[in-house]
Amino acid sequence: MPEQKILLYPHPILKKPARTVERIDEEINSLVTDLIDTMRAGPGSVGVAAPQVGVSLRLCVVDVSASRHGKENNHGLMVMINPEIIASLGAASMREGCMSVPDYTGDVERATEITVRFTNGAGEPEEVVASGFEAVAIQHEMDHLDGILFLDRIVSLKTGLFRRKSYK
Amino acid sequence: MEPKDRLAHFAVTIISKDRPGIVADTTEVLYRLGCNIEDSSCTMLGGDFAMILIVTHEKPFSKSRLGDEFKALQERTGLAVHLRTLHEDEITHAKEEGELCLISVYGSDQPGIVYRVTRALADRQINITDLNTRLIGTKEEPVYVLMLEAYLPPGMSVDETSAMLEELRRELKVEIGVRTITPVSL
Repeated sequence: MPEQKILLYPHPILKKPARTVERIDEEINSLVTDLIDTMRAGPGSVGVAAPQVGVSLRLCVVDVSASRHGKENNHGLMVMINPEIIASLGAASMREGCMSVPDYTGDVERATEITVRFTNGAGEPEEVVASGFEAVAIQHEMDHLDGILFLDRIVSLKTGLFRRKSYK
Repeated sequence: MEPKDRLAHFAVTIISKDRPGIVADTTEVLYRLGCNIEDSSCTMLGGDFAMILIVTHEKPFSKSRLGDEFKALQERTGLAVHLRTLHEDEITHAKEEGELCLISVYGSDQPGIVYRVTRALADRQINITDLNTRLIGTKEEPVYVLMLEAYLPPGMSVDETSAMLEELRRELKVEIGVRTITPVSL
């Protein structure tokens, strides 16, 4: 299957919570292949969520192993069906950009370590403890499943580096 | 005509004693004239509020048209307006390829911190995209803080940049940190 076109905001599907995947069938398998192809085709892309290609289902793929920030610490390619974060720890901010919102970046705060439970591509339940950039990527992709964009999570303007003085 | 050629571009700079309503007053003028705000950055500085906006309007549209409208606002509220017509080569900006980094500089206040640091960066073709400074600390021990974001030339690393600033650290007795903030694409 070929790579799919990444939908851009303001496509309404990007702001809509996605539906749970009920059954892993041929259709889901081919969607998984499409998502992987789409991720590999995007320059520097480390993840794609189904809503980004126009399918409102709770499914995303993540692979940070080829990226500068993730190559030392990752689980390789992960197909995550109905993922759920069951524990999270810490907080750190990173400047994020998103293929669905081109030409804009912003500082987003994310948990530094997460435990995610999901069904993998083979249909088996899996639990992964991810940290660092991989944890950021998973949280970013999972946000897409809830209709949340990084724009909804920007914590500071880029010039807001320190608290303002109060002027009398 | 290319779409860009259809538009007249202007840089509008506003500075005013701070009060609620400066942005609303300014953008009301632009809205009534049918101008688009393409890019803008506004911030409070001291007791003033400063705005820089890149605005466009379908041609034909003259700077004097903009000036007349702002003159009325200027007379009514006392804010200062400066207008400049942008030329073709100022409209498009090149995509940066190097590493984006945040450079933090702080230490006891002394003359020349901004100048010395930015000169060192300029001499190595490091391009500043954002910069702000603030005087903090106490009257007895004033501390100067400079934060800037800059693109390194392609091939230059954060570590090299940090090492290059070592002499300045010693000379000015300031802390200088360099860290990458190159956006991650997700």
